[in-house]
Amino acid sequence: MSTSTAQIKPARRKIKWGEIGLHVYLIGIGLVVAAPIILAIFTSFKVANDITNYPPTLLPEVWTVENYITAWTATPLWRFFANSLIQTGTIVVFQVLFSILAAYAFSVLEFPGRDLLFYVILASLMVPFQLTFIPNFLTIAKWGQINEAIGPNTYFALTVPFLASAFGIFLLRQFFLTIPKDLHDSAKIDGAGNWRYLWQILVPLSKGSISAFSIFSFLGAWSQYLWPLVITNEENMRTIQIGIRFFLFDQERGADWGAVMAAAVIALMPTLLIFLVAQRQLVKGIAMTGLKG
Amino acid sequence: MSQSVSIHKSSPSQNADKTYNNNWAKIKSALEGYLYLVPSLIILTIFVFIPIVASFQLSLTRIAPFGGKSIAVGLENYTRLFADPEYINSLKVSLLFTLGTVPGGLILAVAMAIALSYPMKHLSWFHRLLIFVPIVISSAVTGVLFRWIYHPVVGYLNYILSLMGIEGPLWLSSKDWALVSVMLAVVWRQLGFNVIIALAGIQNIDSTYYEAAKVDGANLWHRIRHITLPLLSPTLFFLFIINVINSLQVFGEINILTEGGPGGASNTLLYSIYYDAFVGTPFRGYASAQAYLLFIIILIMSFVQFRGFGRKVHYQ
Repeated sequence: MSTSTAQIKPARRKIKWGEIGLHVYLIGIGLVVAAPIILAIFTSFKVANDITNYPPTLLPEVWTVENYITAWTATPLWRFFANSLIQTGTIVVFQVLFSILAAYAFSVLEFPGRDLLFYVILASLMVPFQLTFIPNFLTIAKWGQINEAIGPNTYFALTVPFLASAFGIFLLRQFFLTIPKDLHDSAKIDGAGNWRYLWQILVPLSKGSISAFSIFSFLGAWSQYLWPLVITNEENMRTIQIGIRFFLFDQERGADWGAVMAAAVIALMPTLLIFLVAQRQLVKGIAMTGLKG
Repeated sequence: MSQSVSIHKSSPSQNADKTYNNNWAKIKSALEGYLYLVPSLIILTIFVFIPIVASFQLSLTRIAPFGGKSIAVGLENYTRLFADPEYINSLKVSLLFTLGTVPGGLILAVAMAIALSYPMKHLSWFHRLLIFVPIVISSAVTGVLFRWIYHPVVGYLNYILSLMGIEGPLWLSSKDWALVSVMLAVVWRQLGFNVIIALAGIQNIDSTYYEAAKVDGANLWHRIRHITLPLLSPTLFFLFIINVINSLQVFGEINILTEGGPGGASNTLLYSIYYDAFVGTPFRGYASAQAYLLFIIILIMSFVQFRGFGRKVHYQ
């Protein structure tokens, strides 16, 4: 992907009016696009009267953090947040670990059936979660009858279907393939087995790809909705995504929109921070793979 | 076993001892290979591959009204579907949803990508920041944010419409506007992704085409019409398919904004699956039949995309 070579070239050395117009156009569009987030952030700092006043204002008249205190304490939102951290952390760690192992097998090791297995794993990308979630729910429910610790309403149930990632295997395999075979040969001569070669040479060389995949994995896991919704029905096992839905429905009757927006801002903050820190990497990853993870 | 066959093939050594060692080394290295794959394979087998079959089996069953036993009913669930006005409605809603979100969303994305593709000295990071930011927003948060925007009394959307002299509808509780409300929210969430892919496509176009066109005196519109869009068509094709597939998988926004209502107005194929399988009395066999049909639709789209995408790689 060469990004440097080709762009639509504007006429050079003309008056810069065109460029200024373009800036105005882009900022206009950008503000409209970002408006739902900007409005939520401002609303979350408004006092109740301020929110229900008509016409609505953009900025709070009085700034307050009351809504965040309400959101954090009124429902166990902090608990939902912690649940999401545990769920997402578990998924990311295992997806990265398992993908590294499988990608290594598919790129460096040789064994019968390797390519066939690789295509089978790739094919799993075409199976939508919408097909598998009902049988998966029944599987977990059945396990729960044997042992509650692996049944619904557990961190195990929230994470286990997602501990492997065909996307991650594919992504890392593609990168591992770009690393010269000579490196492996010389490591072998130096007496390093596969395990050591993988962790001491290949993984450090692939830091970029691995961290890119970790970001995708984090965003995907943090944003999950359908599975946490069906596999948990105890309040204290909800993830933040499910938590804000119930929080919204509870608060709407009391019309406490400030607290609802504070809850939404809390829920989007981790991914927003990742976006701000790793925008470039994220965009490159999406442009290269054509996937969101 | 296929293992030993391939080992014999690849080591036609005369020395028996050497062959033995060689074979052993190969078996060992093969075992090692499988060992590295085991964790991923176990998870994918239990939660992806087996469910493909399990889901189909489930779709051939019904739960007995008393006793909760599962009865085999053959293809009854499938034949019932096409006589079920609710399912026909869901098909219509999903079709409308796709038609309403995909072309519009893509046109918006391409327009923004073209504007973003101009090399600018300043602020280009800032433009991108604002336009790309929805990519990290989850469907649930999108639902919550838009529920606030659509608020009939204090929401910003109806306020802005009122400034233009339009009386905004009761977005989420109106049979005519509920689906549109969900569409807008989803177009918004998908926008960043579409712009990123379209922008990458535009930046891959060889700049010499533009230079040649400029020599010929082509204006901006001509350049977009005769260079950018045709050369971007493989990317647009890819985006089109991906967006159609995504539009069939929308769930969070519907669950938060409309819950499929009012009166089924936003009850898409997926929402209907969820509803039948998990809300009220579960009809999981019936829901699985719906899931299988949705799977087949998505699978067809994926195949079309693979064929088209293969051609694209070839073509460039």
